[in-house]
Amino acid sequence: MNIIGPDALVFGVDDVDACARYFTDYGLADVGDGRFEALDGTSVVIKPADDASLPPALETGSMLRKTVYGVADQATLDAIAAELGKDRDVQQLEDGSLQSVDDLGFALGFQVTVRREISLPAETVNSPGAEPQRPANVIAADPEADPKPRTLSHVVYFVPDAKKFEAFYAERLGFITTDRFTNVGPFMRPAGTNEHHTLFCIQTPPFMQGCEHFTFHMGGPTELMQAGRRFADKGYETFWGPGRHIFGSNWFWYFNSPVGAHVEYDADMDLHDDDWVAREAGLTEDTSQIFLFTLRDNWIPTGGPPGK
Amino acid sequence: MTGVSDTVELCHLEELEVGKARGFDPFGEGRDALFIVRGTDGLKAYRNVCPHQGASLPWQRNAYLNSQGTRIVCSAHGAQFDIDTGRCLQGPALGHSLEPVEISISDAGIVQAATLRLTSLITDARSTSCREDK
Repeated sequence: MNIIGPDALVFGVDDVDACARYFTDYGLADVGDGRFEALDGTSVVIKPADDASLPPALETGSMLRKTVYGVADQATLDAIAAELGKDRDVQQLEDGSLQSVDDLGFALGFQVTVRREISLPAETVNSPGAEPQRPANVIAADPEADPKPRTLSHVVYFVPDAKKFEAFYAERLGFITTDRFTNVGPFMRPAGTNEHHTLFCIQTPPFMQGCEHFTFHMGGPTELMQAGRRFADKGYETFWGPGRHIFGSNWFWYFNSPVGAHVEYDADMDLHDDDWVAREAGLTEDTSQIFLFTLRDNWIPTGGPPGK
Repeated sequence: MTGVSDTVELCHLEELEVGKARGFDPFGEGRDALFIVRGTDGLKAYRNVCPHQGASLPWQRNAYLNSQGTRIVCSAHGAQFDIDTGRCLQGPALGHSLEPVEISISDAGIVQAATLRLTSLITDARSTSCREDK
């Protein structure tokens, strides 16, 4: 099935105004009706928890109410409706999208993708032994740069049964497992993208079921660092990062959020095709990242010894 | 001066708003070591450590409560806690409680916290003086 990746994550929240400020400061564009968009039109949607248009909440109180997948075309939508319609209710909403649930009870939406083509330069690096990526007199470090999230990358769930979760996405929706943390969960990509993962799950007790984090891709490590620094300077609380993961190779920086899940900036994820053989590792500090840093205030070494 | 039974000054009682929470980073560690909720019947103080994963709770400075001010909320994964007891009521920290911090108020109205438990996290206690919030 030609599912491309998440188009939108829909939350029912306690404090709509706080969330609006948070996602605007994060770098998404407030386009109205609770929708906050990245450059390609993928989005976070914020509604009051009691909004009647939302699918029912999980019993755990998770604020994530729906994960909406973008698919390539109407034929894919029809195929999903036929497949899921075998054993569960599949609604067609007024906007033409489908709504159903996965085997763990997470509400799912499917729509012909809203992703707009974006044409933006990648981060450039000048490296000895390689052709320069920036010609003479082109500057890399710009204190005034205002990097924006480019596209919704992936979502991670806490799930009570990771095997059941993986089987549903693999067998019913055609997702492919790219790597795996033993006894934790799989990294998965749908067939319509080569990205290392758009989905990951973490095995937990049932009362924890919900969204662990989600992230948008930035243009590169420098954009990630600069956006994260900008966000932290506005008073937002870091959870983990910046650093760089091993599975997926993506750079990361996670923040706490008023939607009860971590919100991440990420950048530079690996791509895989069907020749890839999934790796497996135990989840430890050293298998989850190649390095981890903590932000500190700017500082400069200057002058002589103190007091001189 | 930094013995384990010492106290550290946090702020004046008048700086704490009824129905609100405020975090404190008395040792300049870069994140709050504890927070205080001022209710109508007094102060409740807890370490800023979620019993789920040890995360810092707020999503921005002093954002420890839900919008109604009725529960403490961890913005890492949405765990909700009773303000009076610190017990988790919903979410991934169920079965666990926030760790209380012993506080006192001097005759002059200065709110002080016992450093006994706070110091367990501190590797570079540069100062015991009250630190102004940024």
